Amino acid sequence: MAKLEVDEALVRKLAQLLTETGLTEIEYETGEQRIRVNRHAAAAPVAAAAATAPAAATPSAASEGPPAGAVTSPMVGTCYLSSEPGGAPFVKVGDRVSKGQTILIIEAMKVMNPIPAPTAGTVREIAVEDGRPVEYGETLLVIN
Amino acid sequence: MAGAPLAFPSFYRVLAFDSLPSTMDECRRQAAAGAPEGLLVWAREQTAGRGRRGRSFASPPGNLYLSLLLRPDRSAAEGAQLGFVAAVALADAVSGLLPDGAGRVKLKWPNDLLIDRAKASGTLLEGQPGAAGRLDWLILGIGVNVMSHPPDTPYPATSLKAAGSSARADDLLAALADAFVAWHETWRDRGFGPVRAAWLDRAAGLGEPIRVNLAQGSLEGRFADLDETGILWLDLPGGRRRAVAAGDLYFPEA
Repeated sequence: MAKLEVDEALVRKLAQLLTETGLTEIEYETGEQRIRVNRHAAAAPVAAAAATAPAAATPSAASEGPPAGAVTSPMVGTCYLSSEPGGAPFVKVGDRVSKGQTILIIEAMKVMNPIPAPTAGTVREIAVEDGRPVEYGETLLVIN
Repeated sequence: MAGAPLAFPSFYRVLAFDSLPSTMDECRRQAAAGAPEGLLVWAREQTAGRGRRGRSFASPPGNLYLSLLLRPDRSAAEGAQLGFVAAVALADAVSGLLPDGAGRVKLKWPNDLLIDRAKASGTLLEGQPGAAGRLDWLILGIGVNVMSHPPDTPYPATSLKAAGSSARADDLLAALADAFVAWHETWRDRGFGPVRAAWLDRAAGLGEPIRVNLAQGSLEGRFADLDETGILWLDLPGGRRRAVAAGDLYFPEA
């Protein structure tokens, strides 16, 4: 690996491990790089790279919090906006949704996980595309 | 009701049907009505069997179709580990029913059973979100080609019978029920580590070049690892490593 390259996948994986284990900090060191991922009080994991190479210290992961009313992904996976290809979408921008209503599905390891609306409200934005990978903590859609 | 005189571990309550539209639908209905963990819906045929993403799943008599209700009290991300628990259990069950089974049975990420590199099962899991980011339930749906397999599938298919086994669906159900209870206990008591190790022991294509068809597009690379969350890691040309949480694996022609 080039010494100035941030291993984005590794940072993401560490961030995911952090949230799953409930730890507040993980430090991972290889011959050339040291990456420390720590979690602040915010719900979203914040990745901070404290590598020996100064240029590697630029985190690519969420340094801004999600917008108000954002529904974020509880897992890494692929997101689907309808129950089957070509089917009607669960929700569209402008739709009123009730709390608990399925707003999309995230597939991970062949598990289909319906994502429920956390509150009643109006869908203001759909931030993801059908059939695309999503990361942990990524904003899926905005309801308010 | 089929009324088969099979004995099951006490973990299960088995509902057996000669025919159902879909074991998933029946199991989900029971789950929503409050059925406890261990409900196993078994049908000798399905008239409206479903696979992933609304694909139809041909379900003629002679094969095994079941949906098992689990209430793991875990996050959805952790619940995904149960698909690997099921895969390892299925591999053990089928290995024991097949001549020279242990060397012929492999697992295709994340949870397809291969016999001599041909696909012999399909697994589908459906989570139901509950309070505080926990699963209310998880339904594990498994279909295994025992007596027959569909022709013209995108991935080559086989059945236990075609592979030289004289087992019937009842025999496989009994073996799978026992194997799943054992692996489920291991997972519950010792975590994903032993399950992951067993899965890796049985993994098809580990360390080899593979193609992964995604919902959009595909990736080619070397199958590097299965991580602690069940994600497949792919080494791409050029030295980058990519995580795959959803996709269909293909191996190059041998």
